[in-house]
Amino acid sequence: MAYDPTENEITRRSFLSRAIVGIGGLIGAVFTGIGGGYFLSPLWHKKKESWVDLGLVKDFREGVPVKVDFTVRKRDAWSTIESRSSAWIVTANLKEFIAFDPKCTHLGCPYRWSDDKKQFLCPCHTATFGIDGKVVSGPPPRPLDRYPTKVVGGHLLILPQKTAEA
Amino acid sequence: MTWHEKYLERYKKLKSEGKPFFPYAVFKDTLVALLIFGVLCGLAYYFGAEIEDPADPTDSNYNPRPEWYFLFLFQALKLFPGNLESIAAIVLPGAAVAFLFLLPFIDRGPERHIFDRPFLTFLGLGTLAGIGYLTYQGAVSPLTNPIIEKDPVAFAGQRLYSSLNCAYCHKIGGRGGTIGPELDKGAGDESEEWLEKHFRDPQLTSPGSAMPKLNLLEDEIQSLVAYIKSLSSGGGFTEEAPKLFQENCAACHKLGQEGSEVGPDLSLIGTARDKNYIRKYVEDPSKINPSSSMPGYKGQLTDLQIEDLSRYLAAQKGN
Amino acid sequence: MNSFWEWMKTRLGIEELWNALFARHVPEAKGWTAWLYTLGSASLFVFTVQAITGALLAMNYVPSPDHAYDSIRFINEQVLLGRFLRGLHHWGATAMVILVSLHMLRVYFMGSYKYPREATWIVGVLIFLVVMGFSFTGYLLPWDQKAYWATMVGVNISAQVPVIGEYIGKVLKGGDEMGAVTLTRFYAIQVLVLPAIILGALAIHLFLVVWHGISESPTRKEDDQNKNAGTGILQ
Repeated sequence: MAYDPTENEITRRSFLSRAIVGIGGLIGAVFTGIGGGYFLSPLWHKKKESWVDLGLVKDFREGVPVKVDFTVRKRDAWSTIESRSSAWIVTANLKEFIAFDPKCTHLGCPYRWSDDKKQFLCPCHTATFGIDGKVVSGPPPRPLDRYPTKVVGGHLLILPQKTAEA
Repeated sequence: MTWHEKYLERYKKLKSEGKPFFPYAVFKDTLVALLIFGVLCGLAYYFGAEIEDPADPTDSNYNPRPEWYFLFLFQALKLFPGNLESIAAIVLPGAAVAFLFLLPFIDRGPERHIFDRPFLTFLGLGTLAGIGYLTYQGAVSPLTNPIIEKDPVAFAGQRLYSSLNCAYCHKIGGRGGTIGPELDKGAGDESEEWLEKHFRDPQLTSPGSAMPKLNLLEDEIQSLVAYIKSLSSGGGFTEEAPKLFQENCAACHKLGQEGSEVGPDLSLIGTARDKNYIRKYVEDPSKINPSSSMPGYKGQLTDLQIEDLSRYLAAQKGN
Repeated sequence: MNSFWEWMKTRLGIEELWNALFARHVPEAKGWTAWLYTLGSASLFVFTVQAITGALLAMNYVPSPDHAYDSIRFINEQVLLGRFLRGLHHWGATAMVILVSLHMLRVYFMGSYKYPREATWIVGVLIFLVVMGFSFTGYLLPWDQKAYWATMVGVNISAQVPVIGEYIGKVLKGGDEMGAVTLTRFYAIQVLVLPAIILGALAIHLFLVVWHGISESPTRKEDDQNKNAGTGILQ
């Protein structure tokens, strides 16, 4: 007797086939959700920085931008690393401070302050920024990026985390 | 016709009478896969995967145990002492694997039903029972090393202490440099606020200190504070403590010249154990050392009295 | 749609593949024993789970004594769904050992390893050993106390072999002491060597299962003689 499906059998077969696709799809979807969430987790990861002490307020000078190097101790996933970084500090009155991220907003070149021209000059595409960080000339799409600053107990602290112009 | 040919003929017939693999068998497979996936997700969600303290090759207080499916092998080693150990470790498992590989050539007849192959059936069941028994024995065998629970935050501080090379300048337990102060002599009795401030910037609490500012992260400061605090003898004990010892412990333990020698001499206990450990031990010794015959004092003494007694004992460093 | 299907059929031979793998007929198993025949596919399913979760975990793992433990903590505590995924891999390993063992017991007690399926069984035993190898090497990777000491015991057991035991221990550890080299060796075996072996073995195993056909439910000698007179094989 060879296998010969009856009409009942055919309904049963199509039901089973659909159930297989359904259950298989469910397992696949849940698994894809879990694995996908894990794989894409960097998208939800928030960077944490802590405030860095740049020294005494009285050591800065009004109207003269100065580049300050500092060491940040931070977590890089499972390891803790110390990295060197820097910021341009500008102050008009030794009470309020502005800290600029040291990279040009065009392509990330390291700019410097020109005492003659009273402007920040970028060496790559001759962009210039004013002392307030605004674009004076050249291709940069936005003013210089800033770091939050605060003064605590006579010390200037910055949070080396880029924010748009305050 | 040999039975091989007959078998193939019969199988061909059974196969043609059977149903297609899809969807009948596949449906069962899918249901089982769903069940397994559900169970795995449940276990992963509720239990996750444990992680213990980091590997410490110098730790002599650990109770090594293999994963449960190797436990029977681990337990079997106890049955073959001395030179015979290699029988349990190598000969038996090796023979079992060789037997499995050769099985189709050992059992070559056409009989397939378990009742038609009584020897192999009994061999299989006997092996299963043996593995089951050994696994059970292994699971209930007592852990002979004391289980020392570490405070995870203080332990993180201890790891940081070594990764920051603090021992270059500082001494703990007699090991380390001499530039800075010895940390198990009084540093742990400083307040948490003082320690925290000190780690943030040593100049704030100790002007002129040679200790560098370490730019530590917030949780690193907390870990170090907890670690340094754990080095403390626990601060002062009251005048009650020696009396508590006389009344409750001296019947078995010696301290200096006083007391009996039924239990261990505790004159130097402070050099080996910290206050938290002693406190846990006094409360319920069986938790740390199941073979101890010492009674637990939780309930016998008030929490305050146990704390007092533990501080007293932690201060016993032979001086 | 139709032309797409045509393309698949003529270029990939998908119809022949389907007929060979899924439309093939299998002898009907008796009653509840039909469920015992799902153990093989269940093992295959868990293997897939292990492969996928393993690949994802490897993205955040460092096989070095300095960082292994912290990277595992990172997965558990910082990565989205990391604890869950590691849980799946951990319990999947246990499920794998149980399912493969049960599958093996099913074949043992049903005598399914007999003619003409001897080679299927031998490759199956090899797969079983590889699964045990996965368990052993995977256990060390978190580099916590449990991992370190269990592996220490395991390696020392293999060092019991007469004469060459000492050398086996040295090769496993990659030196005289357990340390950085032990971890990288175990990691390479776990993620490169064993997967290569098991994939090859699985391919052969599955081919043989399909080619010989799944074994039918065992029957008693007497039944065979009475009911299947003429075709009986146990006369």
